[in-house]
Amino acid sequence: MGRKKSTAASGLATLFILCVASLALFTIYVKEGDCEQGGDCGPLHTVQLGAAEVLQPVRSIFATVFSPVTNTGERIMGAFDNTREQKLEREVRETEELAAQASRLERENAELRELLKGQRSEYQYGPLAQVVAPVGDQFTQRIIINVGTQDGVEANMPVVIGQSTLVGRTAEVSRHTAQVMLITDQMFAAGVRIIPPAKFDPSSGEISPAVTDEDVSYGQGLLGTDLEGYLGVDLVSTSARAEEGDFIVTSGRAGDKELLFPPGLYVGKVESVSSQDIDQFKKIVVEPAMNPQDLEEVRVITDWAGRNG
Amino acid sequence: MAVAALLDAVVVPYLTFGFFSPRLTLIAVVFAAAPLRDLQAVLLGFFGGVLLDALGGDLFGVGALGGLLAAALAARASAVRRKGTERVLLAQVAGIAVAAYGLLGYTARWLAGLAVPHLSEYAVWGILPDALMNALIAFLIGGWLLQIINVKPQHTWESGG
Repeated sequence: MGRKKSTAASGLATLFILCVASLALFTIYVKEGDCEQGGDCGPLHTVQLGAAEVLQPVRSIFATVFSPVTNTGERIMGAFDNTREQKLEREVRETEELAAQASRLERENAELRELLKGQRSEYQYGPLAQVVAPVGDQFTQRIIINVGTQDGVEANMPVVIGQSTLVGRTAEVSRHTAQVMLITDQMFAAGVRIIPPAKFDPSSGEISPAVTDEDVSYGQGLLGTDLEGYLGVDLVSTSARAEEGDFIVTSGRAGDKELLFPPGLYVGKVESVSSQDIDQFKKIVVEPAMNPQDLEEVRVITDWAGRNG
Repeated sequence: MAVAALLDAVVVPYLTFGFFSPRLTLIAVVFAAAPLRDLQAVLLGFFGGVLLDALGGDLFGVGALGGLLAAALAARASAVRRKGTERVLLAQVAGIAVAAYGLLGYTARWLAGLAVPHLSEYAVWGILPDALMNALIAFLIGGWLLQIINVKPQHTWESGG
């Protein structure tokens, strides 16, 4: 009897002590920062980065295994909202389109590879990086790539596909891997400009000089994803020009961090613009140029002309 | 437990849809802690949670606290179980543990100053379906897990055998 009581008491005491230990771990983790200030990581972040390094080969294997499953899953999800007859009709259409789609994808793939080979002279790129796997929880949109500090990559560097299509920015970086916060992550923010199609070439990243004229007022704002998952541009004045189909490019500012991204990185297109009389800012929804599911190879911009003012 | 934590870190990101994701480590903790004494159960839950924190990229300490809670609930529930109902009971415990873990994760993100949805919205569309789905998963794999952990008690001088 006495033995049982002492066991229960010791269990309760241990529970209390471990609760305090868990809270202490959480507090230390939050206080030690996120490795983004001068690359100085605390012990708990170091443990996670070490685990990410060790798990990289396993993640690569699972990424290969899950690739066809993910694609099939997307097709299945897309088919759910149709009736049986429509589904059958679409299957027939899909079969007919398969050959054309395959050749188109092949051509696109070749073009993208060519783009990845190309470099803009004003940017200094890190080595071509393979996307290892998605990471994170329900609230985050992040991937791991196979370049790290050994390749000159640091935290808060822009990550692109092609020459200048923005994918996200590096977050936590270890020796051989880096976590990339995608533009669709709720914590991502970047200063952007809204430019008419005639003034910007997304394939080359070239902006017409007229855009920088002082008398032209194109929309500017802060790119971010809201809690419902919509990528949009906030803080765009209702008087500024912004229309459906316009291009979104970085302005070179991100909140209070000056020049976190170089100006002119292509983000996506304006999908819709709306505002009411009482609104101070326009509500702009953006269709991103990149699809997280399609990312295979990316490149980190390690430096660019005019970065330090 | 280690396998569950590894799967949680490597495979589960592919199986996350909206607010739902399988919580394999928590389910493993619940089933592994059930036949143990309180002290052993909470230690198992805590270190299982720490493993989950270390292998994942989320806020450190949330997994440890979640694992601890799951183990404590499982140990308490196993004290009142009736023979033949373990699977259903532990599936319920897994559901409650997942709900508690979701709430802990939400609170931790809020305390850390990270973006969080409205609590009511998250509770209805996030925590509730997540808990139900994980309880279902726990029920489905529960029979197999119980077979793994169901070792016959050794006759020692303590049990009088």
